[in-house]
Amino acid sequence: MQPATVQAGELRSVWEVFVTAGIAVYAIVAGLIAWCAIAYRRRDPAVRQGAAFHENKPLEILWTVIPILIVIGLFVKTYIVEAKVEYVAPNPGEVVDVAAYRWSWRFVYPRHHLALDGTTTAPPVLVLPVDQTTQINLTSNDVIHEFWVPAFLFKRDAVPGRPSTFDLHPTQIGTYRGVCGEYCGTFHAGMDFSVRVVSAADYAQWLAVRK
Amino acid sequence: MIGWLIGTNHKRIGILYMVTSLAFFTVAGVLADVIRAQLAIPNNTLVSAHFFNEAFTIHGTAMIFLFIAPFGFGLANYLVPLQIGAPDVAFPRMNAYSYWMYLLGGMTILSGFLTLGGASDVGWYAYTPLSELHVAGGAGEDLWILGVTLTSISSIVTSINLIVTILVFRAPGMSMWRIPIFCWDMLATALMAIMAFPSLTAVQFMLLLDRHLDAKFFNPAGGGDVILYQHLWWFFGHPEVYIMILPMFGAISEIIPVFSRKPIFGYSGLAISGVAIAGLSMTVWAHHMFTTGAVNDPFFSAMSYAIAVPTGIKFFNWIGTMWRGAITFETPMLFAIAFLLNFLVGGITGVMVASPPIDFHAQGSYFLVSHFHYVLGGGSMFAIFASLYFWWPKIWGVKLNERLGQIHAWFMFVGFNVVFFPMMLLGVMGMPRRVFTYPNLPHWGELNFIETIGAAIITVGMAVFVWNIIVSHAFAREKQPDDPWGAGNALEWATASPPPEFNFKSLPPIRSKRPAFDLHYPEFAKDSPR
Repeated sequence: MQPATVQAGELRSVWEVFVTAGIAVYAIVAGLIAWCAIAYRRRDPAVRQGAAFHENKPLEILWTVIPILIVIGLFVKTYIVEAKVEYVAPNPGEVVDVAAYRWSWRFVYPRHHLALDGTTTAPPVLVLPVDQTTQINLTSNDVIHEFWVPAFLFKRDAVPGRPSTFDLHPTQIGTYRGVCGEYCGTFHAGMDFSVRVVSAADYAQWLAVRK
Repeated sequence: MIGWLIGTNHKRIGILYMVTSLAFFTVAGVLADVIRAQLAIPNNTLVSAHFFNEAFTIHGTAMIFLFIAPFGFGLANYLVPLQIGAPDVAFPRMNAYSYWMYLLGGMTILSGFLTLGGASDVGWYAYTPLSELHVAGGAGEDLWILGVTLTSISSIVTSINLIVTILVFRAPGMSMWRIPIFCWDMLATALMAIMAFPSLTAVQFMLLLDRHLDAKFFNPAGGGDVILYQHLWWFFGHPEVYIMILPMFGAISEIIPVFSRKPIFGYSGLAISGVAIAGLSMTVWAHHMFTTGAVNDPFFSAMSYAIAVPTGIKFFNWIGTMWRGAITFETPMLFAIAFLLNFLVGGITGVMVASPPIDFHAQGSYFLVSHFHYVLGGGSMFAIFASLYFWWPKIWGVKLNERLGQIHAWFMFVGFNVVFFPMMLLGVMGMPRRVFTYPNLPHWGELNFIETIGAAIITVGMAVFVWNIIVSHAFAREKQPDDPWGAGNALEWATASPPPEFNFKSLPPIRSKRPAFDLHYPEFAKDSPR
């Protein structure tokens, strides 16, 4: 499956590194535990004490240094990708102001004087042009909400009094599920929306029809 | 009965703490079953959205503030004086005060269910502005704030008590480099608690002032800052995670050597890593806030990764303790090994969510729910059961039935993983936490239904545990010796089971890190680390 945005491609590379490293570490450590449980089980009930083996400096230094090297590697990967994902382009192709409220969303296209409101029963649709950078300016009208599109592997908090800006650069035409990721009260579960990524031509047509 | 009400003996206070925490655990567990029943199938209408929101709020609150952390303090109250060869804690009356504040705080939180608007329903970290919207008819929220503040004061008081006890009340020969690792980890925990809990007390008072006197601390319309609440909350909230897990690291460090029949491996590494975890835990709080876009992500990410290093040291030392041992698998050891395997998942997923790019997807999803349950459920809770089976004969003079214990352990291990592993997949698939229902998307129904089956398996396991207590006490015949497991290391195994009022008739000589073992097996005393 192709990543749905340029940013999602970057984010997925982090998931791939961490999941691979995580499975490897789990296999090694769980394997050691299983090995000990099997190989060093007490076979003779008369045995009162195992080997008097309770320190080994080289070993202890080794299992301190190796995790340090692993987490340094993970940090470098994290740092590089985060800088790319959080980069906000100076000249975006499109701008959408997103306002969250209990319990739906308002999508405003300031360049086109267009505003779309939703409800829990009629979730709003965020229409984005494909292969263009759209800048999202996110805020909240009441409590903290969270703009989360799972297919984009990305979310950002909508914090009242503290607007937040990020870029989305969709690469795949399609419709994606969006949800509120931060608990916001009784009907938090119903605070859905969709993201529809369309071609440039379809986008122009959609704007013309909506206006 | 009166003796229990007015008593100040550390063993009684410890028992009261632990029994009370298990009662709150039962409440929190029943609420977890309500949550799982509601989420068993898509679009379910078993309970209302409002009740579901109360259920997960009080489930989290009770597990964190009223079960796991107080159990650790209770176990410490019971064990620390015994392990360092002291007759009691430094301030017995203050100790009683801390217990009664904890009980009062817990009852205050739960009493929210009796109010018209119901208990708090804003989640266990009560983010503003949500927690400020419910002033009208929201007595449950006020009771929650007051209750949490009382438990906070209780934790500060008991922590001061533990620090002074460990530093000042050690028996002759019991140097700092001989105290059991449980005492080291409790010292680190108590130091964290006295740094972290004042922030909780402060932020809850500010919230109360905001709610009733319009103080505007967290109200953006009045110049306040929503993010400030999160900073103050998590400055407490992240150390709190380690306040819940470090005592259990200590307990595991007592249990594994006994059933491996070896001295603990890497004593100094274990002791220092506990203090290192406590120190680092004070520097990572904003990793709960990566998705706000309002904090220095790389700094808090780097500090969070760093905690993996001392945690890894502890892990390898436990494996080193088992290495070349003569291991048997009584119930405490079974739970301890289950703890290792579960906590490993919690630790690895913990390193994942320390990465902001991962958090941009995982935060607030069921992936995160899975992660912290692997830490606090698969980790702390399993270690609590290991501790209960391990110290039960010492505390009550009765050993729990071994066969029922093994059944309990297996039900818990299987049930736990059946509940929480599918959550990881659902989180990656995009299921947010704290939703009272969900749409019928591909596989969501199946995975959630499997989780609910897991909850049922855990519930059966818990019934076996209760049955075990009843049966074991009803049919208890033989008196338990000083050292019921036959390989005890720390001083609690060198006195009667249960211990006399002031703990020791006479203290054995303390010449190594395992004085009870030296007393019972003088022929092996030469192998004991000094």
